[in-house]
Amino acid sequence: MDFIQVINGKGMWIASSLMVIVVILQSGIFFAEALSESKKLGLSQNHCIKAVRSAIITSLGPSLAPVVVLMALIPVLGAPTTWMRVCDIGAAETELAIATMSANVIGVDIRSATYDIRAYSYSLWGMALNNLGWLLFTLLFTHRMSGGLQKLNEKYDPNWIKYLMAGAALGLFGYLLAGQVITKGAIGVKMGHLYAGAIAGLAMFALSKIGKKYSVIREPALGIAMIIGMLSAAVLS
Amino acid sequence: MSNGFKQVSFNDRMNRIGIITVSAAIVANFVPAVYLWWSYGVIPSIPDILKIWAVAAAAYGVSWIVQPLSFFAVLGTVGQYISWIAGTVSTIRVPASTMAQKAADVEPGTPEGDVISAIGIATSVFVSVGIVTIFVFVGSWVIPMLPSIIHKAFKYILPAIFGALFVSLSERYPKVGASTFAASIAITVAAVAFKIPDWLIGILIIFSGILLSRVFYKITCHRVKD
Repeated sequence: MDFIQVINGKGMWIASSLMVIVVILQSGIFFAEALSESKKLGLSQNHCIKAVRSAIITSLGPSLAPVVVLMALIPVLGAPTTWMRVCDIGAAETELAIATMSANVIGVDIRSATYDIRAYSYSLWGMALNNLGWLLFTLLFTHRMSGGLQKLNEKYDPNWIKYLMAGAALGLFGYLLAGQVITKGAIGVKMGHLYAGAIAGLAMFALSKIGKKYSVIREPALGIAMIIGMLSAAVLS
Repeated sequence: MSNGFKQVSFNDRMNRIGIITVSAAIVANFVPAVYLWWSYGVIPSIPDILKIWAVAAAAYGVSWIVQPLSFFAVLGTVGQYISWIAGTVSTIRVPASTMAQKAADVEPGTPEGDVISAIGIATSVFVSVGIVTIFVFVGSWVIPMLPSIIHKAFKYILPAIFGALFVSLSERYPKVGASTFAASIAITVAAVAFKIPDWLIGILIIFSGILLSRVFYKITCHRVKD
């Protein structure tokens, strides 16, 4: 059996498609449920259309980001596995890292000629077992957390809970942003990344202000701010 | 009161759907590996499977727990179930949720905010899966044709999204935003100096955000009372 033919074969496509089908079906079901609930809450169809449009515009740019890594993964893992794993949890780089480390367990280098179907099976099990971590945690604890949130709103001032949520979200993204801007080795600043973050932030601030007066700006605001930040950084550095 | 009851049953239904769909995802997750075993008889030995699991746990085990915990506040129940199957949480799901709520003019943390957030996140999944699917088939042909400035710009996508999103999230709570940003920089710099592990930095900064929100909540409350 030819290795490349196996990992790109019909069987692999069918096996890999199941996860993608679950991902799409799940979102489809939640979408329908949320739409139905929005009517019960008195939200107009217009609200939902604006939400959908904004979500589409906001997701377009970031959805293109893993495309270059996709091209690096396909020759190594085959198109079906790459498609499945980039569509599910675990960044493209994470999947490649796990696939590599799993093959290393039997001393095989993922980019060498010795990477055969046996080593490939190790990579598949590695990616599955890694993703299982997030899936299992979500399965076991989300309903507990969701119940916990309701209890918080009943026990404490809901106004404080809103502040709390905002503080937690700002902390989380402050951490992610700072991590992008500050170098890890020795204390320093990544200038290109600083430009991107700062300019995108300023653009978002300006667009939000404009958006208050001209609501048509609201939907694409984040997408536009992101592009301004990215292009400015590319030009300046 | 009746609104509270509606919220409970909606939430219960969402949890039920979430549990069923995540369980299906767990099964689908292993199908390719099992297929290879079924069709070609190749499978790691049990000790090797445990070794692989140990490698994964060492590399990402902390993320399995810390990430879903950290993001729950901003994702909500439905967002949580979708995001930890579909992935790309900080760069696609959270921005889609935030911007959908802004566009629809609803407040986060309210029942309206939750359903709009769910609509936004689900929509983002259709987009991301659609784009990845297209590029799996045409990517090798299209990508080399893109101008190099585009390639260069995509290197900066993460700080750009995080910068824009941070400002967006700060809109209702600008003082919490500004102070949390300062704290994030200070803690990250200190972490590099004292070699604090990455996952711990995140927890410290999130806690600082919560502390600062408490401070400003108290200040605002006092003002209102006066």
